[in-house]
Amino acid sequence: MDERQVDDKQPSEERLSAWLDGELPPAEAQAVAQWLDGHPEVAARVQRWATDRATLRAKLDAQLDEPLPESLVQTVRQGSRAATEAGVAPRRGVGPWGFGLALAASFVAGVALSLTLGGLRPQAGAASPVAQAGGWTQRALVAHAVYVPEQRHPVEVSTRGAEGAEAAQEQHLKAWLTKRLGRPVGLFDLRDPGYSLIGGRLLPGDAGPSAQLMYEDAAGRRVTVYLQVPPEREARADGHAQFRYVEREGLGQFYWVEGEGGQALGYALVGALPRADLLALAERIDRQIMAGR
Amino acid sequence: MDLAPAAFRDQLLAALPRVRRYARSLCFDPQAADDLVQTVAERALTHWHQYDQQRDLLAWLVSITHNAHMDGLRRTRRLQIVDPFELARDQDAAVAAPAPTDPGLRLDLMEAFERLSTEHRECLLLVGVEGLSYAQCADSLGVPIGTVMSRMARARASLRSLLEGGAARSTSTASASDRPSLRRVR
Repeated sequence: MDERQVDDKQPSEERLSAWLDGELPPAEAQAVAQWLDGHPEVAARVQRWATDRATLRAKLDAQLDEPLPESLVQTVRQGSRAATEAGVAPRRGVGPWGFGLALAASFVAGVALSLTLGGLRPQAGAASPVAQAGGWTQRALVAHAVYVPEQRHPVEVSTRGAEGAEAAQEQHLKAWLTKRLGRPVGLFDLRDPGYSLIGGRLLPGDAGPSAQLMYEDAAGRRVTVYLQVPPEREARADGHAQFRYVEREGLGQFYWVEGEGGQALGYALVGALPRADLLALAERIDRQIMAGR
Repeated sequence: MDLAPAAFRDQLLAALPRVRRYARSLCFDPQAADDLVQTVAERALTHWHQYDQQRDLLAWLVSITHNAHMDGLRRTRRLQIVDPFELARDQDAAVAAPAPTDPGLRLDLMEAFERLSTEHRECLLLVGVEGLSYAQCADSLGVPIGTVMSRMARARASLRSLLEGGAARSTSTASASDRPSLRRVR
């Protein structure tokens, strides 16, 4: 504590405010109290702050008595996000993910998955976002499970190769996917968090082509970004993306739609990563999407 | 994934009304606030093992709420991160020239509170109402303690100024309609 505190110099507004909050060390607090004793005008002002604080407490305390939304209470009671996450009801028996894996073989064989997976979607009439997005995001999970274990042919167009050839390959992949999806497709730079682009492939989607980009980190962990023109009904009404999360058997997925009308593109990021890490990647991707627009 | 223990869930449930109150100080729309609380509850349940029992649960939840809210802002690109100095200046201008055209208008305390900047509102709530220390508040918001201290002083002055019909002290020509403290970027 310095000499200033005990002379007649007026404490700063910050100090007075901190004094009211009990944030000053005892000796300093005492000095401020003494100073205020001799300066009733300033003391009255500090008193008004205290009254404001008390009034605010009284008014805002009323909010604490409002009942919480039932869905929120359920989320906490169940101790897990599973039941309420993105509005999916827990399933019994073989989960959709196990089902998806079983279907993976037929996916590789080229069977029209859109038909098969149609049966996995939540019942028509369910208006939850995941119900709407069920088709393509489910496909993103299956495509991830199918291609990520591939050692020799993880991608159709590789962006890895001789120094210098990579940039050309990236250009090629980007142009190709943009042409086939009919929307500008960007390749995302995830090198900062340690993921380099391996390449991508074109896949059959619900009503047209979709695409998968694959990234790998130094430890060989892979994440995929699945791109698909979203169903019409998912066109965003409010003009901004909402991230949704689902998790199945250790695989997490964030999915969202960016862009409006004819420019809308759905993104699904899939990986066996902690949710927070996956979210950080999803946000990085979304930033790049926005920056590229 | 291992489930959060029942004791943690009980604690969380008991704290949620306060989390919700904080969320409402961040989001004007009550539905948006409830969505935010839902996200916070999910994150807390996922990361319950990171919660240090020595730490105040509310302070921990506030930091999750704050981060989730900031994530949301960044994600939706509704807001641009502005320079703190610029923001403080704009807010001072806004307080000096409040929205109502009647210079003598005296606002109700809650109206005045709602008109404060988010930074000021959240500090007044967390310190003044919830009783967090400056250190806890600073930790939860990811800012230095000195910032909390200065925000508290500014918030109190702004609130008073609004309550006392602060237009009388107006020295600025800025009008509320063109103040750029929150900029729409798309």
